[in-house]
Amino acid sequence: MTTYIVRRLLVTIPVLFGIILVVFIVGRLLPGDPCHILLGERATNAVCAEFNHKFGYDKPVLDQFGEYLTGLTHGDLGRSLRTNLPVGDLLISRLPMTVELSIYALLFATTVGILAGVISAYRRNSAIDVTTMAIANLGVSIPVFVLGLLLAFFFAITLKDTFFALPPSGRLTSGLTIVPLAERWGLQNTGGPIRAIVDFVSNMYTFNGLLSLQWNVLADALRHLILPAVALGTIPLAIIARITRSSLLEVLGLDYVRTARAKGLAEPAVVRKHGLPNAMLPVVTIVGLQVGGLLAGAVLTETIFNLAGVGRALYDAITSHDFAVIQGFVLVIAIGFLVVNLIVDISYAFLDPRIRLS
Amino acid sequence: MTRPSARMPRIATLIASLALVGAACTPAASTAPTSGPTSGTPTQGASSAPFDATSYPTTAVDCANMPAGYTGQISQIVAVDRLTVEFHLCKADVSFLSKLAFASSSIQDTAWLQAHAPDKSYVRKTNGTGPYKLKEWVEGDHVTLEANPNYWGEAPKAKTVVVKWATEAASRLQNLQAGGAGGVDGIDNVGTDDFATVQADSSLKLLPREALNILYLGLNVDDAPWNNEKVRQAIAIGIDRARIADNFYPSGSEAAKYFTPCAIPAACGGTAWPAFDAAKAKQMLTEAGFDFSKEYDFHYRTKVRSYLPSPTEVATDIQAQFKDNMGIKLKLVVEKDDTFLTDSSNGKFPMILLGWGADYPDVTDFLDIFFGTGADKAFGAHFKDIEDGLKQGAVNPDVATREGIYGKVNDLLIQHVPMVPLVHGGSATAWKADVEGAHSSPIGSEYFAVMKPGDRDQLVWMQNSEPSGLYCADETDGDALRICEQIFDALYTYEVGGLKTVPALATACDPSADAKVYTCHLRDGVKFHDGSDLDANDVVLSFAVQIDAGHPLHTGNAGSNWYNQYLFGGCLNAAPATCSPIVPASPAPS
Repeated sequence: MTTYIVRRLLVTIPVLFGIILVVFIVGRLLPGDPCHILLGERATNAVCAEFNHKFGYDKPVLDQFGEYLTGLTHGDLGRSLRTNLPVGDLLISRLPMTVELSIYALLFATTVGILAGVISAYRRNSAIDVTTMAIANLGVSIPVFVLGLLLAFFFAITLKDTFFALPPSGRLTSGLTIVPLAERWGLQNTGGPIRAIVDFVSNMYTFNGLLSLQWNVLADALRHLILPAVALGTIPLAIIARITRSSLLEVLGLDYVRTARAKGLAEPAVVRKHGLPNAMLPVVTIVGLQVGGLLAGAVLTETIFNLAGVGRALYDAITSHDFAVIQGFVLVIAIGFLVVNLIVDISYAFLDPRIRLS
Repeated sequence: MTRPSARMPRIATLIASLALVGAACTPAASTAPTSGPTSGTPTQGASSAPFDATSYPTTAVDCANMPAGYTGQISQIVAVDRLTVEFHLCKADVSFLSKLAFASSSIQDTAWLQAHAPDKSYVRKTNGTGPYKLKEWVEGDHVTLEANPNYWGEAPKAKTVVVKWATEAASRLQNLQAGGAGGVDGIDNVGTDDFATVQADSSLKLLPREALNILYLGLNVDDAPWNNEKVRQAIAIGIDRARIADNFYPSGSEAAKYFTPCAIPAACGGTAWPAFDAAKAKQMLTEAGFDFSKEYDFHYRTKVRSYLPSPTEVATDIQAQFKDNMGIKLKLVVEKDDTFLTDSSNGKFPMILLGWGADYPDVTDFLDIFFGTGADKAFGAHFKDIEDGLKQGAVNPDVATREGIYGKVNDLLIQHVPMVPLVHGGSATAWKADVEGAHSSPIGSEYFAVMKPGDRDQLVWMQNSEPSGLYCADETDGDALRICEQIFDALYTYEVGGLKTVPALATACDPSADAKVYTCHLRDGVKFHDGSDLDANDVVLSFAVQIDAGHPLHTGNAGSNWYNQYLFGGCLNAAPATCSPIVPASPAPS
């Protein structure tokens, strides 16, 4: 197992290098230039020449890339061109929002998706099966931004002033403030990884509300997360539902399931004990792949719902040619994607003992 | 089959992964230098303490013999006494008060600048004298302002102002419509298609923003066939400008009668632009011997601006009008956004579609920019009679006299036709109907202190974007400048919802007879948010750090201090044409 993990980690190094290289080059190929975006379109050539010199954009691209790599090896992701903040600090403030949104979206997608898939397989070719799969097909087809705007319109405006009304954007109702967990727990002077983790969790508002027993914050943060989580989780949900259904149908047709039925086991028990566990392997694979999709979908979802996460920061960075932020955030997303895939691969061994990672 | 013993390693792996990500995201220890440079400016004391008046530069700039690279108009800023400041200019500037009122001219506290400029922390922390104090800035999410209990003016009506942002107009409107506790009370830049929606909703109100921009069709008078004045005069009446305004612009926009918007004082003297007359235009072109067989290039870019919300549609319509009204064939040429402005400034194109938005509300920000002695070559050679008129207007402080002078200039523009003014593009803000004092500012500086949101203590405003910083001497984005205007004051300000300059931190700034010296009398008893007293040295230093690119406190967000350069003409100790410090020939030590 250890050898496998080490080998997989080593393989990620060239992958990450490739990602860094591609993002670096693509960023420089974007139309427009950071000078005119930041200083306004009336900035003269002389001003822009000075600007480019100041930030090193007048150097050959290879030199710039070399400097960036050198910084990376020292843990320096650079500074945002637009806000002058260290990219690492921006990540600390933005990543928790995206992780929190992804958790709820994935929770929604897997729970409802697996349930829908199982019901469809269990009631194969029934009206409920056809309806569920039709909705799943629709879910796969609707772009995130369309669904997001429709949900916001329906729940925030059509159902305005009703019990079911939900906020169209943001993380908390204006006026409600979050107290950092570090402050609440007296860890202001603590540093290092522990403080980083505490700050990370603290910036996930539902977790903050839960751990600090601020139920109003928890409830408000959850209300704000429902629509974006549903918008972001709908496509993965539809995919998971379809995979669950087909995988379960395949397993339920195998000999050992027939034997279980022949023993007189009730159909729900057959599905629960013999069908579902063995049908989960492809589902887990798909769930792992969807995590990457969630991170990509977060760019649109966070922009539509005004959520200050990695996706929105990336969108803002791309529109303002904030190279350091683009590179740093894409790098972290890539690392997250690779880590999740590694976890998925490792989980195979636990789900199916026949698989040996070596 | 579940195996409890096997679950633990999986959970442990997950926790370890999260810990790794968290640890990886821990910022490296700051290596910023701790020793700040000294400014040489005395530390401000309380009003009762002895006042050590400062000047900048110590020796006034010799306007007849300017330092190398300096093109600015400020010769010296002098703190005469604790509450008196003099601005000595190299040339008369009747728009000086308007420039003083701009957000980039806000006054900072001396001690605050000395403490926070070196590490740039003043980009995200503020200490102003305005009606609101910065309470919190949750990066990426919102800015919260709280009322300043010691504000020198009328107390702000809402205790708290929350500023949010959304790039999409549809999202902003949804937030306004949603309402509810903590909902949005006002939004900026209503989408062109959403005007009717807002107007139809009785719980909302739409407030058009006076158009302070101009879309024009530029003609290079050096290039054939536009070098023929008769041809240009025909073009001037051959375009139906009202059709463009009606078809492609939101309500509040208007077909241009003058190049400068008439909301600006003294802008609209003289004859209005001649009315559309296709038959006469065609006849004039024929008489001028125009070659109708050729196809002529028409250059534009696709970037959306408030003066041009639908670039391709407008360009296509103009192309159609040239063909239908005058029989002229135009070829549309789409230019790259990043080179179009520079190329057009250099006179590369014979015919362009472009526009301009006001930075400060004065005729000089329109006519002098395009037709004055310092104008670029976008329209080709300059017209001396127009330049002479503008020189007179720029030194005459009397509005009525200026209107007469600019009236003659407007008439000369109709005669020479270096361009055809087309449309002043409007925009609008939208508000909940119960927000008292809601207004739209022509220059986008809505003033929240006069607004009362129904029975609520909190006003929530949603704009286009997050500010990149709140040291607004070094910001160019209107969304940042608007927030600055709630936190900081300048010596003058614009009247609420209007363009007229009114005293703010100064009770008055009196021009000398030749308009080359402005003596500003500061309001007594004004305190910054941290309790420091305002005095004349704060004014001197606030401008000095912008003007002197070599000043140790000349930092800011990007360090360009672009608006200072633009408004006051340039920086000392800067590389030519920039406000950045002179770069040494050899590489600087890292």
